[in-house]
Amino acid sequence: MDQTKQDEDYGYELFPERHEGMHKKSPFKEALTTFNHKCQFMLQVAMETSPYAKLLLSAMNNSGCKVSKDRHFSCEDCDGSVSGGFDAASSQVVLCQNNIHQQAHMNRVVTHELIHAFDHCRAHVDWFNNFRHLACSEIRAANLSGDCSFTNEASRFHLGLKEHHQECVRGRALRSILAVRKISREEAQKIVDEVFDSCFNDHAPFGRIPHSKKDAKFAYRDYMNRSRYYANL
Amino acid sequence: MCEDYLNEFRHCKSFSNRFHHYYAYGTFPACHQWKEDYHNCRQWETHSNTEAKEALQKSERTRVAEQKNFKPVWELRREPPRDWHMPLNQENPRDS
Repeated sequence: MDQTKQDEDYGYELFPERHEGMHKKSPFKEALTTFNHKCQFMLQVAMETSPYAKLLLSAMNNSGCKVSKDRHFSCEDCDGSVSGGFDAASSQVVLCQNNIHQQAHMNRVVTHELIHAFDHCRAHVDWFNNFRHLACSEIRAANLSGDCSFTNEASRFHLGLKEHHQECVRGRALRSILAVRKISREEAQKIVDEVFDSCFNDHAPFGRIPHSKKDAKFAYRDYMNRSRYYANL
Repeated sequence: MCEDYLNEFRHCKSFSNRFHHYYAYGTFPACHQWKEDYHNCRQWETHSNTEAKEALQKSERTRVAEQKNFKPVWELRREPPRDWHMPLNQENPRDS
């Protein structure tokens, strides 16, 4: 199979700097003309202060996938309005430096992509060939990262209350799949519906749906105490 | 440590948690279990009441079981992915 077709199939065209044969800018020019430093800085803040991120980093460490900022994160320019992605082929989280401008947004994107990385680390996820696996990880990421919090949805003018969180998770998972794979909307919807119940209820490693920073702090505390917890049971 | 249960109980009953639970599940959360766990925890701490300890353990085991109450879509790994730590220039994304 020739390379361009493969790239298109897996959504690599959204991340032009990952395309084979792209001419790399000189580091000096890159620093002056892109948001690279800002992205790196916000990433550092997210890793150190967000309870969501800290929990995920800790869980990954304990699963044998210690995360190193320089190896496993990459700040790049991306196409369109995409905020980030997880590249299983290179084990890297891509952060779209041209589309993330606020710390809260960075925190959320880092959490979202780390959930994908965590799934990659703890399970045999067939990202490229199994749509059910892809859908499952997208459902989990939308569910647990705060993407679908009431405030975030309200800021998108999606006002809903009863079980709106689930509607949002379904919708965002669907959109994420359609953005990176060539598949019809109907087919994607069917797959999301098939795996929704299982994946919506898989809260690892949080142990709950963290609706707020306070929830995330409780979850983080629980996670750090878990070995003592399980021993006592 | 028993205070953790009390904090969870208070958090459970708080307006924001009730709101978020309704937003996610369409129902309001049941919080009484945290309160019971707190009482049992204190009973064990202060009076070494073994019945209380067992009740508490049972409650926590139920919580753990609830976390696993779904059929996973994928198979869990026994070891982390071999290429996680591999340096970047050695990997060719097109090979995988």
